[in-house]
Amino acid sequence: MSPEPASRTEQLVLLLTQNQEPLFRYIFSLVPCEADARDILQETSLALYRKFDHYDPSRPFLPWAYRFAYLQVQKHREKSARSPLLFGAELIHLLALEREQIETELNQRLQFLDHCLRKLTQQDKELVTSRYAMRESVEDMMRRFAMSRRTLFRNLELLRQRLHDCVTRQIQSEVLS
Amino acid sequence: MNLESLIQAKLDGEITPEQHAELETLLRGNGRARRLYLELADQHARLLQQPPPLESTTQQTSGTSRTVRWRTAALVASAAAIVLLVFALRPYHAASREATSYGAAMLSQTLDAEFAQPTIRSGDTLAPGTLTLHKGVVQIEFFSGATALIEGSAQIEIISAWEARCISGRVRVHVPPAAKGFLMHAPGVKLEDLGTEFALNVAGQDSAVHVFDGEVIAHAKDKAPASLKAGMSLNSTKTAVSPADFLPIRELQTLIRQREKNRFEQWQQRSAGAGEDTRLIAYYPFKHWEDDNWDRMVNNLAQPVVYSRNGGAVGARWTQGRWPGKEALEFKRPGDRVRMNLDGTYAALTLACWVKVDSVDKKYNSLLLTDGYESGEPHWQIYEDGSLMFSIGYAAPGEKRITFKTNQTYYSQPVFTPDSLGRWHHLAVTYDNASGTVLQYFDGREVGREVSVLHQPGRPVVFGPCELGNWGLPTQGHRFPIRTLNGAIDEFAIYQSVLSPAELQTMFEQGKP
Repeated sequence: MSPEPASRTEQLVLLLTQNQEPLFRYIFSLVPCEADARDILQETSLALYRKFDHYDPSRPFLPWAYRFAYLQVQKHREKSARSPLLFGAELIHLLALEREQIETELNQRLQFLDHCLRKLTQQDKELVTSRYAMRESVEDMMRRFAMSRRTLFRNLELLRQRLHDCVTRQIQSEVLS
Repeated sequence: MNLESLIQAKLDGEITPEQHAELETLLRGNGRARRLYLELADQHARLLQQPPPLESTTQQTSGTSRTVRWRTAALVASAAAIVLLVFALRPYHAASREATSYGAAMLSQTLDAEFAQPTIRSGDTLAPGTLTLHKGVVQIEFFSGATALIEGSAQIEIISAWEARCISGRVRVHVPPAAKGFLMHAPGVKLEDLGTEFALNVAGQDSAVHVFDGEVIAHAKDKAPASLKAGMSLNSTKTAVSPADFLPIRELQTLIRQREKNRFEQWQQRSAGAGEDTRLIAYYPFKHWEDDNWDRMVNNLAQPVVYSRNGGAVGARWTQGRWPGKEALEFKRPGDRVRMNLDGTYAALTLACWVKVDSVDKKYNSLLLTDGYESGEPHWQIYEDGSLMFSIGYAAPGEKRITFKTNQTYYSQPVFTPDSLGRWHHLAVTYDNASGTVLQYFDGREVGREVSVLHQPGRPVVFGPCELGNWGLPTQGHRFPIRTLNGAIDEFAIYQSVLSPAELQTMFEQGKP
């Protein structure tokens, strides 16, 4: 038996491990529903596994992987075309194109996100923890924070808005100073 | 909703198909909108993937098992890892469930009742369990159709819609044909009702039974089942029973009517005095004047009377309020409303009302709304999740309208649940422009306290043209959003100061039906 296939697989697993996070973010921007995006990521992983022979290791992995992810997003769209909560094909195309253009800036924003997360108030920190780290259900969160559903989502919305504003300010001050 | 809110609703999965279509249009037509969307989506995706570490102050209870550990899965360096990836992260969905209530009976009438559980009120659904009545008389209607009249002191265990146990006290039971087979347990005896009316007296470990009408099978310990027919009694050596010991149902109804009359009279006296409170902007006790031929006046009785602050009913019909003889206006149809025009500029407010909400069936259900929504105008509504929603806004300098960024909205805990619908409740909200604190009350109890991050001290509160139970005069030819309250209002007071929690508690205690 040749050791070649095993090492190819290992190589792919390594690349997937390293790039899973950006790949998920790419898919999520086109299909902003966590469950669907995860399914698509898994389909994409399998597709990459099947087509890995065609991958040229001298070239960057992510742009290559994005093409598969984009195809899986389209497949997903066709499968659930009747859902009124999916972006149209034209919009997905535009978003995918523009996202690749601004990817460096998006990555840069995330570097500031950690800093901004630390500046949150205690209650906001607890909201972030319970929503994202503990993945509590909406009902549990409503109970824990004694908020109505509407208030809870409104608070989450304001919180993410503040994070976004904070990151933008950080980037601007970086550019200006 | 503006672009940011639409994007956020989309990210939270809280978007409606209509809003989704709106978002899609905005994104397709505008590169800057897409840019904002991509940034917010990327930030959200990052938080989903790499949440910040758990805060030490946060208790970690139910969440641990659901915490996703990507890295661990990825460390398994083999082809199996890919398969693992496929199954590692099953999303969880909260299934939408049908609303449920848990109960076997309903507390349909009470008269001077005092319970061991002080929160019990007439109209409550009773779950299986023991009800301890210190004094007074109560009527319980089992969901099977059986009715029990209980005189305090007594202890009754509700087992199911078809079964109950009298631990002590006197009970009179009426069983219609539909509830035939209803079982009443008592010390030493089990009574199977075959469609009848009987009374039971339990003292210590002794039971006595008298049948007024129909037939009851008494299953006594160590004895053959005995049939008891109309007029027959089953007395024990120590406890006897005679029909005269039991309050006839008609008498209870007379007593209840008398009590309602007394409550109503007390309320009328207080109401006359309440109008003299100098803090009032307007006070509507919903008194229907016999000599008002047009039938549409909703009089303001705040003293001295400012005639221009009288209200006018549109559509809404007169109906019974908290007590027989007390009038209320019922809001049902999309046009139903009470129009008002309240002049003046204020530094604070209290809105307090008695309302019976039949259903929270719209996104926004009006209590009091000003016609437009301009700087300093309060809006008070019930939000679709059953919470009280108070809002006030001030347009940014140089702008005419209040936008998403300048609107201050305050929600209470959800208070309207299936168990609180269809009954009279006291609602109140207070706001002052110095501290910016908004306090909301339900039946005299605080259910919301918040200061908006947008609060700036000293900005005035105004009303102008406004209405109860609906929203806004539609401009000609325009469709209008339907925010009609589905229910009735029988008292509404508007003050220019913040009433204290104690005052609002008293208002509830004195006005409750």
